[in-house]
Formats: sequence, C-alpha cells, structure tokens
Amino acid sequence: MMFEVLDPTPGTAPPAGQLAPRLDTLEGKTIGFISNGKEGTKGFFRHLDQILREEYGVANVVSRTKSNYSAPADPHIVAEIKGWDAVVSGLGD
Amino acid sequence: MQFASRSYSADSISAVQELYHSNGWTDGLPIVPPTREAVEACLEWVMMPPDQLIGIEPVRGLAITAEKLAINAVMAGCLPMHFPVVVTAWTAMMQEEFLMHGATASTGGCAVLVILNGPIRLELGASGSFNALANSDRATAVIGRAIRLCLINLLDDRPGVIDRSTLGHPGKFSYCVAEDEEDTTWLPLAEHRGVPKGASSVTVLAAGAPRQLMNEWTTKPEEILETFAAEMRANMRHYSIHPGNYALIIPKQLREHLQAGGWTKADIATFIHERARIHRREWADVGKGAVVRDRGDTVYTAMDSPDQLLVVAAGGPAGGFGAVIPPWLGNKSYAVTLPIGVCVDCEPPKK
Repeated sequence: MMFEVLDPTPGTAPPAGQLAPRLDTLEGKTIGFISNGKEGTKGFFRHLDQILREEYGVANVVSRTKSNYSAPADPHIVAEIKGWDAVVSGLGD
Repeated sequence: MQFASRSYSADSISAVQELYHSNGWTDGLPIVPPTREAVEACLEWVMMPPDQLIGIEPVRGLAITAEKLAINAVMAGCLPMHFPVVVTAWTAMMQEEFLMHGATASTGGCAVLVILNGPIRLELGASGSFNALANSDRATAVIGRAIRLCLINLLDDRPGVIDRSTLGHPGKFSYCVAEDEEDTTWLPLAEHRGVPKGASSVTVLAAGAPRQLMNEWTTKPEEILETFAAEMRANMRHYSIHPGNYALIIPKQLREHLQAGGWTKADIATFIHERARIHRREWADVGKGAVVRDRGDTVYTAMDSPDQLLVVAAGGPAGGFGAVIPPWLGNKSYAVTLPIGVCVDCEPPKK
C-alpha cells in the first residue's frame, strides 16, 4: 500500500540573526557582557573581565544581567548594545 | 486543498515509520501517517484553510500555521474532533505570558499540562476519573501527544537542540487532564478563570511532574489540605522557592470530605495560600545553605495570591490520594486559559 505523507516541520529555516563583523583587535574596545543571572555566571564573568582587560587590553567591560534568565534580554539592554564593540552573552547554571 | 508542506511517498506502513523516525520527526513512538486526507479532515473540522496563521512564536519569530499543527496532530493520533483543542492550546501557548520558548528550552525540563473544561470533554470522551493524570482515555492521550509533537517539529524542541532539559519528565510524552465536572459541586477551573459557564476551554501550564500525596486518615478539610500545602512546601524547599501557578489535583475521595465541609475552590486557595509558605532559611535544612545568605528570615509564599492556585477535580473514585503539580519556575511562565473559539458543535462543511 502506498502512502503519500506530509512533512511536519516548517520546511524553512527560522529567521536568522546576523553576526556583527569580527574585530581585528580587542585593544581599547568596549565589551558588553549579558548574563542570564544564574549563580554560575558570576565567577565566569569576573574571570573573563580580568582576562580581557589584563591580557587583551580591553578598555571597558560593561556587565548587564537579564531580569528573567529564561527570556530574551530586556529591551533596555538590547538598546545599549549599539554602544559596545562586542558582546559576550553567557549563561550558567 | 492546497498544502505548503512537502510530501513524501512511502510504500508501506513500516517505511512511513522509518521515514519519520530517521528524520527526527517523532517522540520515539510510532506515528499515524499524516496523509493529505487525514490532515484535510482536521482542517475542515475547524474550518480553517491550511495557511491560517495560528500565531507567531514570540521569541524566534516562527509562524505557526493550521496546516502544520494538523499534520502533527494526525501523527499523534488525533481525530478531527480533537483538533480544536490542539489549536486552542497552541494559541494559548503563544501568549507572551506563557513564555513558550523559555519553558520548552529550559534545563528545568517541564512539560505543557493541558487542562480541559466544558462540554467538549464529554464530546471527546475525555475522562477525569480513573488514572486521570495518565492514560485515562484516547482523547487526552492524543491531545497531549500532539502538543509535544508540534513542539518537536515546529520549534525544533528536540532533546539537545532547543530542548535543553536536564531530566524532563514523562509528561513530555503527553500531559492532558479533563476536569471531572459532573462529579463535583465545585465550579470548573475555567469558570474560576473567567470563561463563561457552558463554554469549552483549554488551560495550559508549564508544569513539573505531578507530586503524589496521600492522606486517608482524616475527614477534616484543614488536615487534608495541610498535606497538599506540605507537598508544596517540599517543592519550595527542594526545587524552586519562587511563587507561581501551582495546580492541585483533588480526586473524589478527598474532594467529598472538602465538599461535605462546605469548602469551595476559593476557600481551598485561601487556606493553601496561608499554609504553603516557607522561610528562606529552610533551604539550609536541605543542603542549600549556600544560597540562604542574609535573607534567612524572609518568608516566601507558593503563590503571589490565592487566585494563582489552579484547583482541578479529577481522579478515580477511590483512594485518599491527590497531587500537586508545580509550575516550571515560579512566575516566569503564567497559566493561560482560552475558550475554544471554533464551532465545535458544527459539522464540517460539505465538499
């Protein structure tokens, strides 16, 4: 018996975001951290902040924490991104 | 009917199964082949064209059409008469306050609990009696499964892909319960939540696994409800301290004691709100002393207010059991109740 059956998936890729151009150097740049606010992020971002400043010459690190770790970043955080050269979006459990 | 979906030919039922399994389109169980005829029948039942937009998933911007819901519903075993419930449940899940992406992607591993109210339960043969939270009947089994297959195939909620659950729970196969409205003096859940009397409706809740309890050694409402409150306090100590929509499933034996004492659902919610609360310092008793910090004296309630409690009359006639169904993670996701807006009593249009 022949079956003609239908694809249950959307069949098309979801709208994708676009990566910002890569930086040649981190020296003198402003890097933003967006944390999901979970316990494990604290030590990680503290350490990363230190490495970026001391080893890569990053000028500023701006740390922001989402108000809901299961939801997209708050609009005011997203609005700030324009002022940063790069973003590290991290989650930790 | 013009479908947007790609179609495949398979020369046997086992070839259909292998096609769907090998593409990762199932929950691991066999599926019902979603033929054009079967999918068309579902869409005709709800009187929707295939490209009817049910909603846009708010985080990733994915358009959810009636056609895709119908394909997955057929795969789950739904008949056309089950499909209105699937459409309404998905409409509810796409409301912003449900936070579908977070709830279905989270390591917390919740499932979508679907609670049915109104006459559609009887039309579908959805039972709120024996085995109410499990394989009680065909309707709740296939509706719950359809919700999950839609998540898998439409949102890529596959384990390790979008679904990052550490453990999950068996409700992720199917998690649907019909309230036993005929065998109680209480108002149905949906009426408590604003749905007019006599309308059929769906309530969705991003929910953990049921926590079963037992107290068959009293007839006093306060003592029975203290057991429910204690189970909620245990959840707050062991899992999450945050307030949210808890559901209480109260079967007939315990229900009758509460009803005999004149307790309404609102009375129950008021009592539970008073009793289901803990001090943060109690976390130290269960190995979580590291996060008590200087807030040990702070009192946390299981709900923000009594009306956050979802009291559901369901379960077999005998046994002093009950269940607490905790929210996925406090108020990060809210329960959503929607009436079934399609004409469930109408015949599908003639071809």
